[in-house]
Amino acid sequence: MTKLGVFDLEVRYGKVPALGGVTLHLQEGERLFVSGPNGAGKSSLLKAIAGAVSSSHGRVELDGDIITGKSAEAIARYGLSMVPEGRDIFSTLTVEENLRVGTGIRADKQAIEGDIAEIYDAFPILGERRHANAGALSGGQQQMLAIGRGLMTNPKLMMVDEPSLGLAPNIVDQVYDTLVALQKERGLTLLIVEQSSARAARVGGRMVLLRGGQVVGDGDASEFAERDLLKEAYFGQADQSKSTEQVQ
Amino acid sequence: MNAVPQLFFDAASLGGIYAMAALGIALIFGVMNLVNFAHGEYIAFCVFALIVPSSDAVAVMFLGKAPAILLIPVLLALGALIAVASEYIVFRQLRNANPVAMMISSFALGFVIQNTLLAVYGSRPKAISLWPDLNTPISVAGASVPLLQLIVIITTLLVVSALALLLKKTRVGLEMRAAAENFTMARLLGVRANVVITGAFALSGALAAAVAMIMVTQTGVADVRMGGQIMLVAFIATVVGGLGSLPGAVAAGFLIGAISVVLQAALPLEARPFRDAFLYTLVVVILLVRPQGLFASASAKPRV
Amino acid sequence: MMDAHRQNRLRALTTPVVLIAILLIFVLIVTATGDKSLARMAAQTLIRVIFVVGLWIFVGNSGVVSFGHAGFMAIGAYCSAWLTLRPQMKGMFLPDLPHWLASAEWPHLPATVVSGLLAALIALIVGAAILRLSGIAASIATFAFLAIVNTVYSNWEGVTGATSSVVGLDRYADEWVTLVWASVAVLVATLHANSASGLALRATREDEVAAAASGVNMYRHRLLSLVISGFFTGVSGVLLGHSLGVLNPNSFYLGITFITLAMLVVGGIGSLSGAVIGVLVLSVLIEGLVRFERGVEIGGASFALPSGAQEILIGIIMILVLIIRPSGLTGGRELRLPVLGGRVRHSKQEPQSTN
Repeated sequence: MTKLGVFDLEVRYGKVPALGGVTLHLQEGERLFVSGPNGAGKSSLLKAIAGAVSSSHGRVELDGDIITGKSAEAIARYGLSMVPEGRDIFSTLTVEENLRVGTGIRADKQAIEGDIAEIYDAFPILGERRHANAGALSGGQQQMLAIGRGLMTNPKLMMVDEPSLGLAPNIVDQVYDTLVALQKERGLTLLIVEQSSARAARVGGRMVLLRGGQVVGDGDASEFAERDLLKEAYFGQADQSKSTEQVQ
Repeated sequence: MNAVPQLFFDAASLGGIYAMAALGIALIFGVMNLVNFAHGEYIAFCVFALIVPSSDAVAVMFLGKAPAILLIPVLLALGALIAVASEYIVFRQLRNANPVAMMISSFALGFVIQNTLLAVYGSRPKAISLWPDLNTPISVAGASVPLLQLIVIITTLLVVSALALLLKKTRVGLEMRAAAENFTMARLLGVRANVVITGAFALSGALAAAVAMIMVTQTGVADVRMGGQIMLVAFIATVVGGLGSLPGAVAAGFLIGAISVVLQAALPLEARPFRDAFLYTLVVVILLVRPQGLFASASAKPRV
Repeated sequence: MMDAHRQNRLRALTTPVVLIAILLIFVLIVTATGDKSLARMAAQTLIRVIFVVGLWIFVGNSGVVSFGHAGFMAIGAYCSAWLTLRPQMKGMFLPDLPHWLASAEWPHLPATVVSGLLAALIALIVGAAILRLSGIAASIATFAFLAIVNTVYSNWEGVTGATSSVVGLDRYADEWVTLVWASVAVLVATLHANSASGLALRATREDEVAAAASGVNMYRHRLLSLVISGFFTGVSGVLLGHSLGVLNPNSFYLGITFITLAMLVVGGIGSLSGAVIGVLVLSVLIEGLVRFERGVEIGGASFALPSGAQEILIGIIMILVLIIRPSGLTGGRELRLPVLGGRVRHSKQEPQSTN
């Protein structure tokens, strides 16, 4: 069953187009990686789906309901949760307060305490520091908190923007392990922005490549990983090929 | 006669008024980045709601006739109402405008309210006597203190702790603090923007009403200009406290109250009329040393 | 490419020509009526043009709103009174003036220039402090500056006459004198806006953080524009004093701050043309409203607006403009003449509001 449908979605900042007609579908329980060079429109895509920026054309459907043009707070009530790039932790609130901000929209109030305990199980460091100001956490801990906070709205679809940004590899592994485990357990649908095809292939899932605000590739993450590996063999560095893409 | 406790009570009660006014402004700034220049006119509006509309020099009580038990909640509600109404009519239309446009519109709104009061009540200050008994001095710690000063100090402490509890312990308080720090993120988590903003304006307006009651009792005068003066001090307190920081606003309110009482006592007689000039200059000097405010949180982002 | 660029620079320099022509036509129309009170109204409108153009030099270019410019106006106005009033008058009303000031009896022009320079000097000192703050905090600090000036001038009995008015100023500032100064202000504002410093300053208007990061020395450019701005608002104060003949600290407080800001917003804060157009439009409107407040006869019945209606209406107009057309009547564009000998297509250099 189709969880998320994006049809010909366009976003402009003033006159500058950021997203030029993106169409993609996501099945229930699926895991989709969105990759592409800087400025490809990955974050704009997520923000437009979540209602944080308004789209100029196209539509978004969640479980068959059209959510385009609705406010971010209304879209959250449809069961969509977004963990933005840079995490946007409420640094003046405590760890636990951060987790509770998004629980206002839940009908199952009795399940909230259990869910908080579950997040502390998944990320024990958050439990230890539950009364500390979130601003005092390290980058990795903040990423964990952002994911935990996103889960506390009890979403059906969660979008995570670059969970690996600025984190040490072992922390990234931990974050992904937890995401995958939680997905299995809750039947979550996941949309993740991930620059590295190798990492996406290791986690496993479908991958969509975005460039210049358009979808230019769609397939299994492992296919992209192989291709990038080949490029690396021929041209030296995978990152370098990305920067040439960026110039275009 | 003991001068030091006397000074302390003067400073604490004046600082309490400033703190409450600053809190009303900081609340709105925190939640929606709006520097609300109409806040002082909310105070003036509440003052004039106490009396019958007329341009006579002696005020006839209107709402002010009601017993305190009735008057206080009604006036608090009235303050909340005008603040919420102004948000609904003006600021909501400017939700996506830049902070400068919102600031100018609040300045214009304040001017409209002030001139409406002028047109209805005339420009002469009016003598007004609300709860005159509260000005009877009583003796505390060797100082002769008007009962009102004690009430102001206690009220401020009550209001500040009630607000702190509300923000710390309730759902809407949590949402307000989250929204104050990052409005977009809060909305992504399902926090209803309109509920939070309306709540903040209602609280801010009620604080204005509380300031109005205290000022009227203390001075015995209703003057259209009284809102502007206290608003300026309150603004400065919010900047000194670190824009958007609620504890900072309260602390800075008390600090400015203390400085002005000390200046009043320490300045030579001929320099006293210039007290406010010294006060503001001192504040600018403080800001030069700490441009982000005395009590800015570590997370303070550069705000334009 | 280079050619289009130069054409564009040339066209930018036609803006003051257009604006000064508009002001000249305004004065000519008013003098043609031969109405004395209209002529006074014209002089005061032009004084507001000088003030608002002065205000724009800072606010329009830096994007920082100032509530303090009426303070510079007061400083200029009183300075000119000190320099030009007859010594016997000063001895009587302003007994605490130092001897050299008390005996001064300067001609108009040098007194005006020196008064403007004093305002500019104060702007330099005050700006050096205030402009270290970020935008909004700086705006609030300008408000504090206004309160400081008002407190000092309302209480400095022997030097400013405190709240009792200073009278007896020579009323030489008619519509022609003010037209000359308004033209100078428009010219200087254009030159500044198109100078390296002005262009750099406008880059900071869009994004304070990015501009600071890109190495634009925002602080110094802001300070320079505030000093120039202070000079012209100071001069407008001088002329106001010599138009009314009377000075009172409260003429330089919230009322004028509000009206001039309204003019800037209604005209369009993003352009110099907006500043000038805003003053003309609102001044004509105010004049009409003032006459309505006095009462008009229509078909034998007399109608009058309640007093205060003028301010309330201006406030509502200002809010509506901010909501409906936030970039003002001019939309942040400059009035320009087409330059002969070539077409200019869309100009990128043109400073436009992004709204």
